[in-house]
Amino acid sequence: MSPLLFIMRKTLKNRTKEVLKKPVLLIGYLFIAVFVISMLIVSFVMPSGLIRRGSNDLYTGIVTIVFIFMYYTTLKLGIEKGSTYFRLSDVNLTFTAPIKPNHILLYGFIKQLGGTLIFLFVALCQIPNLKNNFDMKHYGAWMILLATVFYALSYPLISMVMYSWAAKKSGRKKILKRALDVMALLIAGVVLISLFSTRNVVVTIGNVFNNPIARYFPVIGWTSSIANASVNGFTTEFWVGLLGMVFLILGTIIGLYRAILDYYEDVLEGTEFFEAARKAKREGKNLTFGLKVRDSVKQKLSGTGASALFFKHLLELRKTAYVLFFDRSSVSVIIAAIMFRLAMPKGVQEVSLSMVLFFALYMLLLLQMQGRLGTELEKHYIFLIPASPYQKLFFATLAEHTKNLIDGIFLFALSGILFKAQLVNVVSCIIAYTLSGAVYTYSDILTRRLFGRIHSKGLLLFVKVLVNILIIIPGGVASAIVLLITENEFFMICALAGWSFVLAVTLFMFSAGILNNLETVN
Amino acid sequence: MLKVKNLTKKYDKVLAVNKVSFEIGSGEIGVLIGPNGAGKSTTIKSIAGLLRFDGEITIDGKPNKSIEAKRVFGYVPETPALYDSLSVWDHLEFIARAYDLQDWNDTAEKLLARFDMDDKKNKVGKDLSKGMQQKVSICCALLIKPRMIMFDEPMIGLDPKAIKELKEIFFELKDSGCAVLISTHILDSIADVWDKALIMNKGEIVFNSTRDDMALNGESLEHVFFSKTEGEGEAG
Repeated sequence: MSPLLFIMRKTLKNRTKEVLKKPVLLIGYLFIAVFVISMLIVSFVMPSGLIRRGSNDLYTGIVTIVFIFMYYTTLKLGIEKGSTYFRLSDVNLTFTAPIKPNHILLYGFIKQLGGTLIFLFVALCQIPNLKNNFDMKHYGAWMILLATVFYALSYPLISMVMYSWAAKKSGRKKILKRALDVMALLIAGVVLISLFSTRNVVVTIGNVFNNPIARYFPVIGWTSSIANASVNGFTTEFWVGLLGMVFLILGTIIGLYRAILDYYEDVLEGTEFFEAARKAKREGKNLTFGLKVRDSVKQKLSGTGASALFFKHLLELRKTAYVLFFDRSSVSVIIAAIMFRLAMPKGVQEVSLSMVLFFALYMLLLLQMQGRLGTELEKHYIFLIPASPYQKLFFATLAEHTKNLIDGIFLFALSGILFKAQLVNVVSCIIAYTLSGAVYTYSDILTRRLFGRIHSKGLLLFVKVLVNILIIIPGGVASAIVLLITENEFFMICALAGWSFVLAVTLFMFSAGILNNLETVN
Repeated sequence: MLKVKNLTKKYDKVLAVNKVSFEIGSGEIGVLIGPNGAGKSTTIKSIAGLLRFDGEITIDGKPNKSIEAKRVFGYVPETPALYDSLSVWDHLEFIARAYDLQDWNDTAEKLLARFDMDDKKNKVGKDLSKGMQQKVSICCALLIKPRMIMFDEPMIGLDPKAIKELKEIFFELKDSGCAVLISTHILDSIADVWDKALIMNKGEIVFNSTRDDMALNGESLEHVFFSKTEGEGEAG
């Protein structure tokens, strides 16, 4: 193990030295540290159930749905591409070295422990929201974090075992993927049947996911039961879940450690895939990474000068979208926003549409942070096109606005019908959604222009989110004041749309200069 | 030194390498050439012990995946990938530890100097250009003083001086009795270094000959390559 421990020790030491040497990086990390510590304090100290006390069944249901979704997506990807604890540097330098594969696996597992931090951070951010809406025990936050750790440690192991089994014989991959799909369809079927009889989403979620089969179902049920201890306490299902996960993880590791291992090929494809995904993320392309490109889409390019960019983007969007501009980001925003509204209390019927709008904007903020324009800025073509930077920026972002407009029409037309909203409110929400999308797009460019030289892309991403939150807050405050004065949802949405319009135009004017110089981006 | 016997590798239903057999002796430089998708990288990765395969591969008489075999062979992959936060020197120190090398510092210093990397010892992996990463990757493989070494497209990304140094190193390795296997699809880059040519096409070795034999038959590597990979009609 000594050479492998050397890598870990040196990596930690060199990273610390690097951060200490670069003041911008140090300030950035200190800022993140303060943010995380504040979140930790808020998560653990804040009282629970002050705003409302949602039922424990609903909490259990939401938690189980989240873990089903997480395990389903990560295991499916794991079966397809393999899963890995390793980087390509490990493959090139440690896999070929005279080191026992068992030791290398253990080293990978120790590294993964560090990788769980990012999952913990995401989970931490959800705790205040959960505490506001549910009556959590004083140790509830710990249980959510514990379940997250178990998830982050178990899915690569399970993926590795499944991939290893599937890789040995052709056809097995298909069997496993079909099995996962059948399970997902079964769950969706049970939910739909229950929904048909109860006609209530909240009751359905509680009914379907709060029964013994769901609670004790291996892995997913076990992980959810650990998280559910935050409202249910230390019940039998918690202990079964805890012991189940401990035995599963330890058993798999010991099994793999003792076996005569030949897992290098199993992790090779996964490592190459995730290395490419990391590269795409660094280059701002993670929104489009791994998307299937449909060759069947035939569309002639048109436009001249800067407008050629717009038609090129339209073609790219059509090739990767399911229908028209409808892609996985559209589906995520629409489903999440409507589900959010459905899970909220019934007493706020008069502002239903704006609740959908606010949650959709939150989702769009997370999804559009690594937008399509990022891909364009990584290449030299846009800088060389003989047109003014304003024209180029306008046409380079027009496809994004068009997509947001169409997504907005889908989302609010559907919400309008579901929540019986007025037509003017539907239209104003579509406009506000599109304009806020423009704010995100242009603030992303401006942040690149101002902070593009920050080498840590993670830190840059954090800065971008922070900038967006800060500039959108006045709009939120203004719309809340308008609602208080007028007591009319339409005027509230108009206030937000107005603020977004002013912001989008201002940011556009200030960010166009980025296209004068490639150096400001990279 | 390197013996590959009936190597077969299948990805799902795709037969990437089909019953490939060849040998590279001590002090011999073999080149594995072929068009894109011929199966060169799969062959190299199988020899490096990264893939499961059918058949038999031995290095110095030991199975290629054994610890004993790994001690004596070096591998320069097609894509250099270094640890982001480890310095150039850290990489060499890691290799020295992993292979349990003694008195390696002097060799490491000399290798870095040959590739003009001696002033970049403290630079970390992520701050190096692709060419520099390739140089570190080569230094790591050479540091162990291998008895068999494999290079997968080694010239890509290297500057002219480094290419010249590398070619000299090929000859030094040959003189020291090391078996060398170079995989490439750029024929010009290895024109004057090889002793044995292995041409792969569609997963099979379609030509296996030594420089001396080819000289006797009046064949040129380029001519044979195109005749074997573009169909018999053009062989003329």
